[in-house]
Amino acid sequence: MRTALFVLLALLSIPGAGSGEDVTVFAAASLSDALEEIARGYEQASGNKVVLNVGATSDLARQIQAGAAADLFFSADRAQMDVLEKTGLVRGADRVELLSNVLVVVVPAAAPTRVGSPADLASLRRIALADPEAVPAGVYARTYLESIGMWSALRDRVIPTLNVRAALAAVESGNADAGIVYRTDAASSRRVRVAFTVPPESGPKIVYVLAPLATPRRPAALDLARRLGGPEARAVFEKHGFRVLAPR
Amino acid sequence: MIEIRLELPLAGSDLRVEAELPAAVTAVMGPSGAGKTSLLEAIAGLRRRARGRIACSGAVFLDTERGVDVASEQRRVGYVPQDAGLFPHLTALGNVRFGARGDGGRVETAIDTLDLRPLLARRPASLSGGEKQRVALARALATSPRLLLLDEPLAALDVELKERVLPYLMRIRDEWKVPMLYVTHNVGEALALAGHVLLLRNRRVEAQGRPLDLLSSPGLTGEAEAGIENLLPGRVLAHDATGGVSRVELQGGIPLSVPLAATRPVGAPVMVAIRAEDVLVSSAPVKGLSARNVYEARVEALERTGIDVTLMCALPAAPSPWLARVTPAAVEALGLKAGQPVWLAIKSHSVRLL
Amino acid sequence: MLSRDEAQVVFFTLEVAALATILIFPLALAAALALARYRGAGKGALETILSLPLILPPTAVGLLLLEALSRRSLLGSWLAAHGLEIVFTWKAVVLATGVMSFPLLVRSARTAFEEVDPRLVGLARTLGCGRATAFYRVTLPLAWRGVLAGTVLAFARALGEFGATVMVAGNIPGRTRTLALAIFHDNQVGRDDRAVVLAGVTVALAFVALWTTELLSRRLGGRAEE
Repeated sequence: MRTALFVLLALLSIPGAGSGEDVTVFAAASLSDALEEIARGYEQASGNKVVLNVGATSDLARQIQAGAAADLFFSADRAQMDVLEKTGLVRGADRVELLSNVLVVVVPAAAPTRVGSPADLASLRRIALADPEAVPAGVYARTYLESIGMWSALRDRVIPTLNVRAALAAVESGNADAGIVYRTDAASSRRVRVAFTVPPESGPKIVYVLAPLATPRRPAALDLARRLGGPEARAVFEKHGFRVLAPR
Repeated sequence: MIEIRLELPLAGSDLRVEAELPAAVTAVMGPSGAGKTSLLEAIAGLRRRARGRIACSGAVFLDTERGVDVASEQRRVGYVPQDAGLFPHLTALGNVRFGARGDGGRVETAIDTLDLRPLLARRPASLSGGEKQRVALARALATSPRLLLLDEPLAALDVELKERVLPYLMRIRDEWKVPMLYVTHNVGEALALAGHVLLLRNRRVEAQGRPLDLLSSPGLTGEAEAGIENLLPGRVLAHDATGGVSRVELQGGIPLSVPLAATRPVGAPVMVAIRAEDVLVSSAPVKGLSARNVYEARVEALERTGIDVTLMCALPAAPSPWLARVTPAAVEALGLKAGQPVWLAIKSHSVRLL
Repeated sequence: MLSRDEAQVVFFTLEVAALATILIFPLALAAALALARYRGAGKGALETILSLPLILPPTAVGLLLLEALSRRSLLGSWLAAHGLEIVFTWKAVVLATGVMSFPLLVRSARTAFEEVDPRLVGLARTLGCGRATAFYRVTLPLAWRGVLAGTVLAFARALGEFGATVMVAGNIPGRTRTLALAIFHDNQVGRDDRAVVLAGVTVALAFVALWTTELLSRRLGGRAEE
């Protein structure tokens, strides 16, 4: 009887993984694999737990504005971070532009589709993009297509998805003939192949911005933010195909 | 002629009936749970698990050995359940017409036979019990059925209504000439309508035969009900306004004085109903009695019906025997027994014209 | 009040919901009839399977549909071979909304059918009706109220379907964007003001649908009871 009580108390006193805190990170969908890896290392080292909420950056920004509790926001473009800064949820001084990425056009791995250049896209019936109205990956893709004058021709064939990973999934399943996603996303999947890469010079400037939320601004969160800019994290990002920007 | 060799699995014990029914109307009788309704449903084709052979006037409905099982809608069997089972969403006319296939003639005749003209536009919810039964009967008749199955059609009606509907059944039997299987608990109805009785008990046939022969059967005794015992068809002979009577001639030429019914035209057919209690029995010829109707008869059988005794008396000219009910004390006092000549007296007031 | 695109969304939603309801109607009645009358083995399993869309999360149903239609599946490869595309088209919207509404109609219709005295059906058979005719002339006229209520319910559910639809049809403007999806999208891109307007439209539509049933039910029911 006493043993049972003792065991019960012991079990109840375990708060989870060690005696650390929870750090909540809202991050763009394209960062999910890399962040999961980094988070694992961080958790072991610090004893804290990382709660990772990945999705379309625009969706996450909206959630934060609606009151969702987050410690860090890792946006796939400047625009969404600007929104939060404008509403005072993030301090300008805290913003760090950490990463860049490259857009690629992917097709299903098994499909014989020949897309050697943007013009070839016109022959396809369905092109998956993250929602070009708000999700950074989709906005980048649209900006690119507009810049080469192909947006009006292609807009009717666009299948807007919730986020960039969903666009990837649509191509993987063959429900879309092609998709425009980040190079990092394409690399994470065996069921698509890159048909061509959007040249970074002629494509839109892709910038991932990281910032802690003005509140609560806890030490553990700031610590994680620092680590995300550190050499170990940098190696992981590069391994997944991101381009790490030089610190300002 | 209806041939039945039926096996039907039921909750409890299986129903097994073997019978050949010769007559126009067969009364199916027996205690509750004996299987009467199930028998009717099997004949109607509503019981898929029925096995054996059922044939009606040469038409085979069921013959398991030969793989014959005619669908219910093709058997042309009219079914009239205990509570009429009218379709609530149709008018009386809609109900009657339901199964008739373009044969307007039969529909009209059925409506007339059952006197439904004034009811046609009404919905079942607004009809009385007797009216519902008549509509149900007409509905079954309008399909020109080969066979009519009636499941206690009068059970839900009070005595007066019963007396009103029973003549319609007789009319159907006589004018439409459709064979009928008639489930009833009522001895009077059975006697009035049936030429053959099938008695069921515990899902088996206990007895079958002529109604007269089965009257003393214990099965029937238990089910006997007070009601109409004597139903006699006849026609109006004359009216005697000063005398306050009308004269009716019953089948067999038997004269009967009834209370004045001037509204009935001379020569019109009538149905006469006399309760067994109202038939006085005398062991000696009757003289000087106020009762206008006195007849010589012979006691054929006596049977205890509850606390009383029912006598079946044969009149020389009458096609079927008349029933008289007396107390056991009277039986003893008069020394009544089978074969004994008696005189029956009936007040004209005791006679009802249906 | 509504932009051209928004009006298109409203009409599209109505059309799709109506089409889905019409398509499931005969199937649902057949299923309801089977459940009401059939008493054999396997009835419980059938009931459960037919009720699944009611209880499963709509996204799970959407996922199952997606899997069933994917090129790897039997059905999907057959469709692909015949050039028939369902995923990401209006057909997928009809499919998803139909599947989600199906159990609602089955339930209502089944209850209505069960309330019809089976003896009346038997009587109709003796009066010369085959099974189908007995259904049209007796069961359906007596059960119409329940069937109508179920149909309107199914339609209303189809109007509001989201989870399964977004999975299998996507949220493609002008092609598969229904009212529910449009509300979601407007909220996603920060246009809550439009989302609220569209939400108001759904409330109005639901109101009209339910009020019409009430009216019909009373008007037609009243006459039969006189």
